[in-house]
Amino acid sequence: MTTATASVNGSAWRRLLEVTLVPLALVVVWQLWGMFLATDARAPVPSRVVATFVDLVANGGLVGALLQSLTRVVVGFAIALVTGTTLGLLMGSYPWLRDSLDPIIEAFRPLAPMAILPIVLLWFGTGTPAATAIVTYAAFFPLLVNTVHGVTRVDRKLVQAASTMGVPRTSILLRVVLPAALPSILLGARLSMGIAWTAIIAAELGVGAKSGGGTSGGIGQMMFVFYSYSIDLNAIVVCMIVVGVVALLIDRLFRIAERRLMPWRQ
Amino acid sequence: MTTANATAMPKLRLANVSKQFVAPRTGQLTTAVTDVNLDIETGEFICVVGPSGCGKSTVMNLVAGLDSPTAGTIEVDGRAVTAPGADRGVMFQDYALMPWMSVYDNIGFGLNYGTPGKGFTQEKRDERVRHFVDLVGLKGSEKKYPHQLSGGMRQRVALARLLANGPDILLMDEPLGALDAQTRLILQVELLRIWGETAPQKERKTAIFITHDIEEAVFLADRVVVMSTHPGRVKAVIPVDLPRPRTEHTRALPRFGELGEKIWNLIRDEAYRAIDDTGGKAAPVAAAGH
Amino acid sequence: MAANATTAVTSPGTIAVPGAAPRFTKTRLFRAIRSFAVFLAIWWGVAAWVENPIQLPTPARVATALFDLAASGELLEHMLISATRLVIALLVSIALAVPLGFFMGLNARANAYLDPLVELLRPISGIAWIPLALFIFGVGDVLPVFIMVYVAFFPLLLNTIAGVRNVDRKLVDAARTMGVGRAAMLRKVIVPAAFPTVMVGFRLAFAGAWAAIIAAELIGSPSGLGFAIEWYRQLLMSPKVFAFITMIGSIGYVCDVGLRALQRRLTPWADGTGL
Repeated sequence: MTTATASVNGSAWRRLLEVTLVPLALVVVWQLWGMFLATDARAPVPSRVVATFVDLVANGGLVGALLQSLTRVVVGFAIALVTGTTLGLLMGSYPWLRDSLDPIIEAFRPLAPMAILPIVLLWFGTGTPAATAIVTYAAFFPLLVNTVHGVTRVDRKLVQAASTMGVPRTSILLRVVLPAALPSILLGARLSMGIAWTAIIAAELGVGAKSGGGTSGGIGQMMFVFYSYSIDLNAIVVCMIVVGVVALLIDRLFRIAERRLMPWRQ
Repeated sequence: MTTANATAMPKLRLANVSKQFVAPRTGQLTTAVTDVNLDIETGEFICVVGPSGCGKSTVMNLVAGLDSPTAGTIEVDGRAVTAPGADRGVMFQDYALMPWMSVYDNIGFGLNYGTPGKGFTQEKRDERVRHFVDLVGLKGSEKKYPHQLSGGMRQRVALARLLANGPDILLMDEPLGALDAQTRLILQVELLRIWGETAPQKERKTAIFITHDIEEAVFLADRVVVMSTHPGRVKAVIPVDLPRPRTEHTRALPRFGELGEKIWNLIRDEAYRAIDDTGGKAAPVAAAGH
Repeated sequence: MAANATTAVTSPGTIAVPGAAPRFTKTRLFRAIRSFAVFLAIWWGVAAWVENPIQLPTPARVATALFDLAASGELLEHMLISATRLVIALLVSIALAVPLGFFMGLNARANAYLDPLVELLRPISGIAWIPLALFIFGVGDVLPVFIMVYVAFFPLLLNTIAGVRNVDRKLVDAARTMGVGRAAMLRKVIVPAAFPTVMVGFRLAFAGAWAAIIAAELIGSPSGLGFAIEWYRQLLMSPKVFAFITMIGSIGYVCDVGLRALQRRLTPWADGTGL
């Protein structure tokens, strides 16, 4: 009994070591470099990064900027969700619609969200509508493509079974096709949200860079301000880490949602 | 070929039915079935057997309204079949249960629409679903999902769903095919019981059962439709004059063996050919489905 | 008696038209042309209705701008700059990611230690690196290349690892029983078996890099397509903005189609991944 637990604990410790060794080692090296080898006093260093983080949260409005970015992402994602899944359901169910719209969609899909930033700026000026528009554009395609993918791959036998039971067409769409396509749709939602988060940072960065850094708001703009005005590299690193952590959290959240919403999948 | 009963309209009539498929890219025509004529009376249990590629499933899809014939007519109670409907229930080969619905919801799905459910209160629906859950012996498993069930249990869910919708005609495409031999034997007897084989014929549901197991066909059927392939057509219709109810002892009767052998003789040559057949003949070949 | 249902639901799945090859009106090319014609018509209509040549220039003016830019050589100039950066970045990225990917894929220990680092860096998008990178490299050529290398690195690495790890054990065992040595095993079995997945990684890396370059050039470069669209926006010369954007999208589309075709050519034995 003792030997069994000892070996289990042993391998658990080993796992922990494996996971943390390289990152910790790099942080240590980085800290040492900053303390002894760095020539520029502004160079970012782990200890100062942590201190800056605390400072930004307490005084610098980090939380506020984060919430602003998140709000825009959520709004943009919501719009893309509604439009993307609806259109995807229709396109998946009606081949003629799919054939007609496919060329347009395939043409716009490789066009990066940032490429339409100038157009968005011309239409909406700087600020929240512009940033949200970019996010919506970015989030739209993964949702649409995955929904179409899911709907077209619905087992025809399920649809046929429902029709032999006298279920009318709209009910089949809502109660058979939609649930059957749900795995793909949720995958699209997860991918889409991840892309949306990247897009908002990019949009805020871009808008901030082009409007003198004043009016875009959000984390992205904050980063740009720290680059161009305050030249606070530690703060930039704080923002980068925050961006990464939020991305991870979003991914985890969606994976949990996937499991919850589809209890029938093992 | 059976001649129609002149005095009463058959429940289901197939007249000169043919089905051709067009290959989407090449435009090549393949004849799945041709010149099918069948009259089926109310309450009959018909089994359809034949080698692979003879068009058994095609015929069933046509009767179900999931597909339409290239030529000929299919009539139920004198009215032409144009689309699927709750009057012709289907039990698919792989059951086609909705994976996201529990056993209970699967069985009751059709009751929210279609004829049997019309005018039903929620209470009546619940009662009906529970009745069929009990009938097929799944009491206690109502909340389970299909992926948690064994093959035999899924088959029973599919059967309960079929019956709960109250169709006049039961169409079953190799429903016991995925089960092991022992389960199959047990479920054959169960199926007949649930179908109501002890009731008078006029009160039973009409059933069309597709299988490639000849013994299964003889065991279950009032008449066996034997199909041949290249192209698919009805070769013969064999009446099964074994007493009902059918039991394990039925299989021991000499008549059981005779009928089985008779049918096998009709199919044998084609069955062997189906194994050797490499396809690619010049003339149109029945290759689409079976 | 129950009436037959009048609800005609799913299509039966047979095309009722017998005969030869499909007519031109049914081919994909025709449908694509038709869809774009409709799209252009709608664009024209909306532009005419909105009547704001800065916010929405007509397709005609965009086409004219496109011709002008092509004729003056400006289009080609920016295209080449962006393309050169892309190629350099992809080459660097491949040189870094693929060997590392093979190493991590073949060596479980290395994978266990290095993977956490990869997973920590991956969520920090390439875009988020721009401010820091701007400080280090300044505005110019290196910034876009750096960002692209970062963005392209992860899909290539992860797909290479996956490709190597997913090599069917039976293939390796079969080669072993034929006495194939380690070096040859790598060259003749593992690399070809992993190649389709690596190729997919390359396509993802390409798409990611092409998207990232626009952002990087827009913010931190004095040349290139990303720079151009922003430059002309500030001058409010919309037709040129739209023209460049059209170019960006077209290049992305053509390259993706080309890469897909290349993938099919090079790895015909791989089943379609659906990507």
